[in-house]
Amino acid sequence: MVSTKLYTAIYAVLFVSATIQVLVEFAGLNYWLAFGVIMVLSAAKAVLVAAYFQHLRFEPRSLTYLVSIGLIAALALTLAASYSLL
Amino acid sequence: MTDTNPERTDGGTVTDDHGHDFPGTGSIKRWFVTTNHKDVGILYIVTSLFFLVLGGVLAWLMRIQLLVPRGPGETILGPLAYNQAVSAHGLLMVFWFLSPFAFGFANYIVPLQMGAKDLAFPRLNALSYWLYLFSGILFGVSFFQGGTFSGGWTMYAPLSVPTFTPDVGASTAVLALVLFVASVTVSSVNFLTTMHRMRAEGLTLRSLPLFSWTILLTVWMMLFAFAALLAALLVLSSDRLLGTTYFAMESPAGALLWTHLFWFFGHPEVYIVFFPALGVMAEVFQTFTGRRIVGRKWFIIAMVLVAIQSFAVWMHHMFLTSINLQVKTLFMITTIGISLPFDLMVFALIYTMLKGKIRFTTPFLFVFGALLLFIIGGITGVFLGAVVLDYEFRGTYWVVAHFHYVMVGGVTALVGGLYYWFPKMTGRMYDEFLGKVHFAIYFVGFNLLYFPLFVAWETPRRVFDYAPELAPWHQLATVGGFVLGLSFLVMFYNLFKSAFVGDPAPDNPWEYAHTAEWAVPSPPPLENFDGTPTYRNGHLEVIEAGEIAPRRDRSDTPAGSSVSADGGIAASSKTAVSTELPTVESTAVEGPSHASIWPFVLSLGAFLVLLGLSPLQEAAFPSGMAGAAYATTAVGGGVVTLGSLVAMGLEPFHGPVFEEGEAWPFSGIDNGKVGMWIFLASDVVLFGGFIGAYVFTRFAFGWTGWEPIPSDPIPGLVNTYILLTSSFTVVLALVAAEKQHKGALVTSLGATFVLGIGFLVNKGLEWQHLFHEGIWLSTNVRSSTFFLTTGLHAAHVIAGLIIALYLTARAWRGAYLEDSRSVEYFGLYWHFVDIVWLFLFPLFYIL
Repeated sequence: MVSTKLYTAIYAVLFVSATIQVLVEFAGLNYWLAFGVIMVLSAAKAVLVAAYFQHLRFEPRSLTYLVSIGLIAALALTLAASYSLL
Repeated sequence: MTDTNPERTDGGTVTDDHGHDFPGTGSIKRWFVTTNHKDVGILYIVTSLFFLVLGGVLAWLMRIQLLVPRGPGETILGPLAYNQAVSAHGLLMVFWFLSPFAFGFANYIVPLQMGAKDLAFPRLNALSYWLYLFSGILFGVSFFQGGTFSGGWTMYAPLSVPTFTPDVGASTAVLALVLFVASVTVSSVNFLTTMHRMRAEGLTLRSLPLFSWTILLTVWMMLFAFAALLAALLVLSSDRLLGTTYFAMESPAGALLWTHLFWFFGHPEVYIVFFPALGVMAEVFQTFTGRRIVGRKWFIIAMVLVAIQSFAVWMHHMFLTSINLQVKTLFMITTIGISLPFDLMVFALIYTMLKGKIRFTTPFLFVFGALLLFIIGGITGVFLGAVVLDYEFRGTYWVVAHFHYVMVGGVTALVGGLYYWFPKMTGRMYDEFLGKVHFAIYFVGFNLLYFPLFVAWETPRRVFDYAPELAPWHQLATVGGFVLGLSFLVMFYNLFKSAFVGDPAPDNPWEYAHTAEWAVPSPPPLENFDGTPTYRNGHLEVIEAGEIAPRRDRSDTPAGSSVSADGGIAASSKTAVSTELPTVESTAVEGPSHASIWPFVLSLGAFLVLLGLSPLQEAAFPSGMAGAAYATTAVGGGVVTLGSLVAMGLEPFHGPVFEEGEAWPFSGIDNGKVGMWIFLASDVVLFGGFIGAYVFTRFAFGWTGWEPIPSDPIPGLVNTYILLTSSFTVVLALVAAEKQHKGALVTSLGATFVLGIGFLVNKGLEWQHLFHEGIWLSTNVRSSTFFLTTGLHAAHVIAGLIIALYLTARAWRGAYLEDSRSVEYFGLYWHFVDIVWLFLFPLFYIL
């Protein structure tokens, strides 16, 4: 499926992007810009881990949908609850 | 139940073609070790009926108190006792009676309807039952610890925190619910895997019987809804036991947070308890009108719509909170939307009756009665869905009357289901005359009890006093309560007597019943079918054991996917030995057995742990002997729990033999892997609830005014590095197992374990540092969210480390080289824990 070499490369990317997240924090950017960059990096890392380490990329798509449903439910709760405060 | 029945064919060794040592139904031991779905179903039904009686007696106490309007303490119940009775009645009936009663039928009937020999993970099924029973016992214990929870079944904050409900019993009740949710989660994973993976050939979802359909949708809702409840309950437990301040008065929007978390679960819960009743209605209507349901496809589509929509209506329970008007309007619209598919279902049932020829048997009378009650309950609910009307009705007996018509209406259908399937379960017919007498008394009692509550709607809910002019209506209701309750005596007498001396029941006593459970003997043999059921030619056929491929004749080597899946870490090789417990090198043992004592022991252990933790306040045990006794109980329970987990992993166990069948949408994926992913999907919602609670609280607090608790992100970054590396070593472990490199496998697993320990040590140092600075869980809501969310994650790491240690030890002795699935499933879990951290790190350390 996937060579050990690719796994190692992905591991390196994850390692580096975690470092970048902290560097962004120290770079003194505008808060919401930094927020956006950091969250996008987190999401990208999560997708990499799920796709390759959990090999969802090579499984039937139904498993991806299954987890996505859980994710959508959690996001719906979070966003709707927060919106209700406005 | 029916051990004296000579026709009984599932009495263990009699027809047991595997010759394993499985005690007969007459033996007490059988009921402690059984993993058979039909046994578990009967256990669920009997236990849930016990809780019906308990909840019913509490309701009687309330109705006696309400006979005349009187001030607090003027009669049998003191004010606090009344509040406890109200709260415990609601909790017991909704959680410990209604759903488990339905799941008794689900356990018994669904595998039969879909042509499976058992559920995918039989031991997990037994575990679900025992967790359920022990959670109920724990709830019972709470009455004796200074009094049980008294803040209403919705457990609204801040009444639910120790400031207002200080009794130890109140904490125990919350912990009992936690244990109950554990049972539900295990059960959901099991049913979903079974129903999606193990249907008979040709039995597509389209052709699945309607009762099974309702159960399928129910477990899907349960999987996600109960995960949200678990998040809510864990936070509440932490507020009560550890002293976090999520729901405290001084926390921003703490009370509102509870209502969001609770009702996100609570509204789907309405359909979770009602759908199985709907399924019974559909089955019984079809059988006793002699007609297939009108618009079957649309009926199913309507149910699917309701199941999805049920997650988008929860704020209609919150119209009187401070949420904004726009969101109220939005949820009023979605609420009206969800009533539409129900209209379709009700009309389909009515039209089925009109087109068919009705036979008024006891089951039909009950489900027909249920339909009438549900129509009344449904229409009165529409009033509550309108924002303006809810301003008036909220917190009154209108609500009480409405949801009793809906929920007890559902019970009515389930009672019909009990009569309907009784001949199948016992092999005996019930007494038809007494059944009809039961219905008559029940139906009169029901309406005498609940209808006056609509008339007396101005009575404030949950309050023991009311305006004197409403007294006649309350007196009628009290009389009705006794009539309804006593009607069950007729049922208990009828069913108990018939189970022993009723007329023997044929395979299909109902003539027009078409689902597969009626094609097998009453009661069905241990493995349900004498061969492999198939719908290849559009109808049920059973292919003899000898006619199919050699898969089945080697019953001691469970074929394919079902082997290891139970518990995820089972052995996987051939040579059958005895049922004795093997020692650690048991990779080579796969003894055939249907029996396991460990689900029982494991549940007992979990019960002891939670009981032991119940008196905690601010993370400290009470001083003196009592505190020491509780602490000992918790530790002892922990040892029992861990020990039985290991024993269960090592135990040779004979799961159901997996035949090729319908497996949409998970064909080509192992049962074990499907189960793991389904569990992870619910865990996503659990963490989603925690992270959602954090985001919500921070939003209410003022997002940018909220400083992260750790002043320095570097320890968090180091932990990110550690976890990422440990994920990488798990990947290497799987690669090594697939290449059959024992040394590399052991090294990688060992490295994962060491890295996990490193993560915990680093976290421990960081926490220690914060404690020294005087920052504790109860310091403020910022520190509460930080410690609890990262603490939940750490608990996941610890659970993972226990599994990693187990895997390392087994790998050391040569396991997993032939079959690497256990390593793979562990990896799925571990990577998930890693992913969660990838979000916790920025949210709690950087932003």
